[in-house]
Amino acid sequence: MEQGTLPFEGIRVCDFSWFAAAPVATKILADNGAQVIKMESATHPDGIRMASPLTPGKEEGLNVSGWFNNQNSSKICLGLNLAHPRAKDVYDRLIMASDVVVENFSPRMKDRLGLNYEDYAAKKPDLIWVDQPMQGLVGPHRNRAGFGAVITPLGGLSFLSGYAHRPPIGTGTNYTDYCINPGQLAVALIAVLRRRKKTGRGQHIVMAQVASAATILETAILDYTVNGRIQERGGNRIAHASPHGCYRCRGENRDCTVVTSLGPTPGRKNERWCVIAVFNDAQWQGFRRALGNPPWTRDPRFATLLGRKENEDELDRLVGEWTATHSPEEVTALLQKEGVPAGIVQDAEDILVRDPHLMSRGYYVYLDHPETGHSAYDGIPYKLSETPGRLSRPAPRIGEHTEYVCREVLGMSEEDINLLVVEGVLEIG
Amino acid sequence: MNDRDTLLGDIRVLDLSDEKGVYCTKLLADLGADVLRIEPPCGHPMRDLGPFVHDEPHPEKSLYWFHFNTSKRGITLNLEHADGRAIFGRLVRTADVVVETFSPGYMESLGLAYGTLKEWNPALILTSITPFGQTGPHKDLAGCDMVVQAMGGLMFLAGFPEDPPYRLGGSQAYHSGSVQAAVGTMVALYARETTGVGQHVDVSLQESVLMSLETAVQHYDMRREIRTRIGREEPVVPGIGMYSCADGHVFSYVVAGFGASWDVIVQWMESEGKAGDLKDPKWNEVWDLITNFRQLIALANDPPRLMARLQQFGHIHGLLKEFLAGKTKQQIFEEAAARRIMIVPVQNAKDIVESPQFQALDFLTPVEHPELGRTLQYPGPPYYEISETAWRISRRAPLVGEHNIEVYADELGLTRKQLAALKSAGAI
Repeated sequence: MEQGTLPFEGIRVCDFSWFAAAPVATKILADNGAQVIKMESATHPDGIRMASPLTPGKEEGLNVSGWFNNQNSSKICLGLNLAHPRAKDVYDRLIMASDVVVENFSPRMKDRLGLNYEDYAAKKPDLIWVDQPMQGLVGPHRNRAGFGAVITPLGGLSFLSGYAHRPPIGTGTNYTDYCINPGQLAVALIAVLRRRKKTGRGQHIVMAQVASAATILETAILDYTVNGRIQERGGNRIAHASPHGCYRCRGENRDCTVVTSLGPTPGRKNERWCVIAVFNDAQWQGFRRALGNPPWTRDPRFATLLGRKENEDELDRLVGEWTATHSPEEVTALLQKEGVPAGIVQDAEDILVRDPHLMSRGYYVYLDHPETGHSAYDGIPYKLSETPGRLSRPAPRIGEHTEYVCREVLGMSEEDINLLVVEGVLEIG
Repeated sequence: MNDRDTLLGDIRVLDLSDEKGVYCTKLLADLGADVLRIEPPCGHPMRDLGPFVHDEPHPEKSLYWFHFNTSKRGITLNLEHADGRAIFGRLVRTADVVVETFSPGYMESLGLAYGTLKEWNPALILTSITPFGQTGPHKDLAGCDMVVQAMGGLMFLAGFPEDPPYRLGGSQAYHSGSVQAAVGTMVALYARETTGVGQHVDVSLQESVLMSLETAVQHYDMRREIRTRIGREEPVVPGIGMYSCADGHVFSYVVAGFGASWDVIVQWMESEGKAGDLKDPKWNEVWDLITNFRQLIALANDPPRLMARLQQFGHIHGLLKEFLAGKTKQQIFEEAAARRIMIVPVQNAKDIVESPQFQALDFLTPVEHPELGRTLQYPGPPYYEISETAWRISRRAPLVGEHNIEVYADELGLTRKQLAALKSAGAI
């Protein structure tokens, strides 16, 4: 890996955050050079360390979750039992030695740990402090904790996703945890770091995760406050394109393992789909050429966008009949050659090992981890020409850097460290 | 515009984005950057996107335009006209960031490649947002939000297995790409404080959604398992999934160790005489199983053991379903929260606007529209507090060419006569 100076080198982050949204935000800082020190203990680990997927044959371990590892690249871990009455002595010192503090507990837990920005800022005015509770620090729901899985419905995205005649089951993931919340937070945090260079002063950033989630609904809020309309989910159809949908394609019909609601199950790779979007009449002509101008595409009812919208059920059925005889790769190649937006509904196998484009851009990064081996991590989705970030190390094992942090960052003696280990305040992984 | 009370008041952004990147420049504008929204002389095509104020299609009444262009100033400029490009060159010399979403190669074809812009202004950051990025075999593919959600894997994970995959609402590929672009732009701005030079930020919408696949790629990488859509109208494990209620749906996430668990739920049901036989000690071993995080994860990875439990789970689930069915979603939310049970409403825009929590966070933000003679309520800040430099919407979206005089005459020093000539030539 090439060595270059990364933008946040010299910035230290004292990271209390756990689970997803805030750890993904601190990953952004870490992958761009910040020293992010995560604090957890085997007694009270970050819960994601137990979540699937786990390295086969090592499922009992705390260092083998692909979910955890992916979100915690480039960070180091201080094994600190936050629930221990003497832990505060340690994290207080780390806070005073840091540039940024990040926590995403509920306000109740935050108060119990004494993590109040004002107390520390009084002693260290250049400290930047982030609270990222689910509901905010104020309001009647402030102490209601939760995960991305409940933020997505609370924030309005689930209601807008899916087919009109079907229940709003949502995204299938803890969606807002991975880009929306952490990205929005990182934008503000980096801007505050930049301003600190000029003013010398830190700031307090509070993000309510539910509010963040409700900012990415396009016009849904404004349409309600202005027109009184409650926007509904409409599947894949949109007002200004037709066809605009997802169509079944020819399957590959080979064995694979599928994670269903009943767990990993033997299946077949025959779930193959494509999407096709025709926004204007020129693209419709391209669509017809790609299909070889079969008679049904010459039906005058389909000649204009208005006509295609009016006859969309029948149009979708006919498009689906054509795609069913092709692989999604064939559909995509034929339509894209004519300038029509089309693509493969890719699964993780397609994305990781079969997408020539992603592979050529090198998005996924393989790192060697002592317990999970050689494994794929999400890379950096913005490529900077001069200071590209890099994943400098795999996720830390729990307590892996206790001695380093205590000695090098906190200046503790061997004796002090040992004493705290014996008392169960510190853990060495 | 160098307002000291804003976070990015010293930053000027030239905004050439369409739907793919317009949320990136909104994020920067609402944090105080001076964003010059550049439109073709006849107005940006984004103004044709609905919904409209009172459903009246009009280029100055598009809620889409309003929402995504808050806090920006607006100028018209024709980049395909030589005089327009000359003016753009002058603006580039005053700017910190250019955000563009054209097909790769288009800027170059106009003589506006990154190398040229850099010669004009070595400190400039050029942020390019395209469906597949600036390099690689798919860089020229035609993409839209749905195509990117498909190629980026989001669609394969969303929905019910018996239905075709769907795209997430609200153009999430565009939002994700814009958020990642704003992050990359901020990293570049931060780096510039040390290096003094700008850089080119290449953002692929496809790559921008990949982190949101959660664990799908790691499942494949570590275990050769393919995650797919697993939505069910009836949850497998009781209390983890969606339930219907009197006026919509709630999402229940009763997961071991987080909030109250099944003993509290059964008491709640019992208090209304709807616990059935769930008080019977025979269920204790089931409660023990589903309230232990580790055991639950082990169970979810062991289909035969899970299958063996389905009858018991179905019985519990049926009673809970019946219990919730008669209540409204807000009633369930309140009653559950009072017991620290994690069940939340599936909220629509009206629910959000009326939510006491969103009200306590001052989520709605009033913005004056003098031309409409009214103040419209916008969705508010993703961060509701930045202690010294608050997020704010400093102005409504610009009218077509609203700030031409301010920028071209007052700042660049063009005369009225020159402006008239440029206008009749179609350059501005």
